[in-house]
Amino acid sequence: MRLLVIEDDPLLRHSLTEGLREELYAVDSAADGDEGLVKALATDYDGIVLDGMLPGIDGWELLRRLRLEKATPVLMLTARDAVTDRIRGLDAGADDYLTKPFDFEELLARLRALIRRSSGRGSSLLEIDGIEIDTAARSVRRDGEIILLTPREYGLVEYLALHRGSVVSRTELYEHLFDETENTLSNLLDVHVSNVRKKLGPAFISTRRGHGYSIE
Amino acid sequence: MKRLFRSVRWRLLLWYALILLGLITGLCLLAFRLTANDRTSQIDREIRNFQGTFFRSLFASQPLPNKDDPPSVDEIRQRLRNPGDASSFPPELHALFEGGSGGTYLACWDSDGSELFISANAPADLTPPRQTGDGSTGYVEIGHRREQHRINPSGMSSIIGRDIAAEQAELRNFGLLLALGGAAVWLAGLGGGWWLAGRALKPIDTIGRTASRIAAGNLDERIELARTDNELDQLGGVLNDTFDRLAAAIERQKRFTADASHELHTPVTIILSETQRALKREREPEQYREILANCRTAAERMRALVESLLVLARQDLPSPGTEPVACDLAEIAGGVADLLQPLANEHSIAIHRELSPAPLHGDPHSLAMIVQNLLSNALVHPPSGSQVFLKTTTTADSVLLEVRDSGPGIAAEHLPRLFDRFYRADSARGQANGHTGLGLAIAKTIVGNHGGKIEVHGADGTTFRVTLPKG
Repeated sequence: MRLLVIEDDPLLRHSLTEGLREELYAVDSAADGDEGLVKALATDYDGIVLDGMLPGIDGWELLRRLRLEKATPVLMLTARDAVTDRIRGLDAGADDYLTKPFDFEELLARLRALIRRSSGRGSSLLEIDGIEIDTAARSVRRDGEIILLTPREYGLVEYLALHRGSVVSRTELYEHLFDETENTLSNLLDVHVSNVRKKLGPAFISTRRGHGYSIE
Repeated sequence: MKRLFRSVRWRLLLWYALILLGLITGLCLLAFRLTANDRTSQIDREIRNFQGTFFRSLFASQPLPNKDDPPSVDEIRQRLRNPGDASSFPPELHALFEGGSGGTYLACWDSDGSELFISANAPADLTPPRQTGDGSTGYVEIGHRREQHRINPSGMSSIIGRDIAAEQAELRNFGLLLALGGAAVWLAGLGGGWWLAGRALKPIDTIGRTASRIAAGNLDERIELARTDNELDQLGGVLNDTFDRLAAAIERQKRFTADASHELHTPVTIILSETQRALKREREPEQYREILANCRTAAERMRALVESLLVLARQDLPSPGTEPVACDLAEIAGGVADLLQPLANEHSIAIHRELSPAPLHGDPHSLAMIVQNLLSNALVHPPSGSQVFLKTTTTADSVLLEVRDSGPGIAAEHLPRLFDRFYRADSARGQANGHTGLGLAIAKTIVGNHGGKIEVHGADGTTFRVTLPKG
């Protein structure tokens, strides 16, 4: 899952980015509204954490312009606990909001819910052929037994499971599993896919040559 | 009842009632008196006329030998004793001889008290008059009768009188009517007074109700003015002005509180998110160190903000302990420049000092804060390698402090709000270097408290000029 954090305060940006990375998200960051809008339009993020008060174009305006083109899930951070600010944000197209200061765990839970909803699922549990994926605990079980996956492997499984039935291209997978700071080797994805097949069964991920991967 | 008399309307009405009562009573008494006097003099005139008619008739039936001479006392005496037949008198005098009661009666006595003529209709208890006022003729009222008492120089005396019960009853009726009319007028006046007082006090009532609605929190409401420019309208205008100022002050306070809490939210968020991140899993000491450093930076930012807020609060409500002392602005500016030299070195900015003595009365600590806020702005915002000029001078009645930098200046759109609390021209929350967005607001407040003014010019570098009264 790849996220974009748009926050002007350098310390808070750093803290959010690092915290989310530790939660196994691929995270990009932007320091002002203009940079944030460019990035949000260029990449299909799984979610955007957007601060309302930004230098350049502010959060609400950014959201309005983003919504003209994309439906990326957006969680807004508002500093003022004013109802009007929240209404403005939700009306401009935000999917959820949090008031500063917020609890980091709550931010994580809301982001998970946001991503889950945008993929059209209501529950944090996914079940595929006897394999159970818990997106809240970030764990995978087969017949009740936990199967250890590396963060990247888990991310791969989760993304494909959320887009179950459709073919996901390699580019899309790259875009959602690695952030802008990582300079990945093109065959790294194949390594992860083969590792997952070893752990969860060779038929779990099927390859569509020339198109990408999918979970049926 | 006590409450009633505290009401202005009731008290106005009470005074009004008393004054009106006095006036109406006075007028009624005057009217009654005048009418009574008029009646009395009319009766007296009738009596005099009657007397004339009687005596003319007395002599008309048997004319005197010498017409031109006035009759002598004896002749009168004799005529009175034998007035002759009633038929020789005009009809209006017949009652004198017919007896009964009513009409005008007449009685004459000789100087020795013997009766000369007593008319038949005279009351039985008539006695010769003894004393009739200061003159020889006088009028007295006895019960229902009014009589003329007269004593001639010759000693003869007479009483001519009539019953005035009808006139007295009429006068009583008139008095009663007057009292009733007066009371009616008084009551009508009271009603009018009540209405007038209510009408005059109605705007006050409206003002009061509006004011209490405003006090209850409806700060946008204002007293409606009738535009007649009377005293109450002027009062309403004054109150509206006061409400405007109060509302503006409350609005400013609200915005300030919202801004302050907003500025505090970010560092609190940082500390919360960093500590939660740190506690989530075991880490390398290096990572803990980094997280702690971040928390410390956030905490320092909060400290700077809280300190600035405290300074502002103190400047807004100066404590009585800070008496102004004589000091030299040049010395203060020099001291601050020395302190900020390391910051200048860090940004590779040269401070040019043009400090000539500038004596004034003030609080040296606050004045130093002005210089520090202006100078550190000039050191932080312009690009490295800029020049900063720090200047103090005096004019005829004031001292000047000028801080000028050779940076890009400030866009005109920012100038009007530059001294607002938490306003930042660069929009970025450049809090990393300890700037809270309160520096210029603090400087402006301090300058205001010293009775001076602060100006800024944004073109061709930024220039801040502080003018303070000379000490």
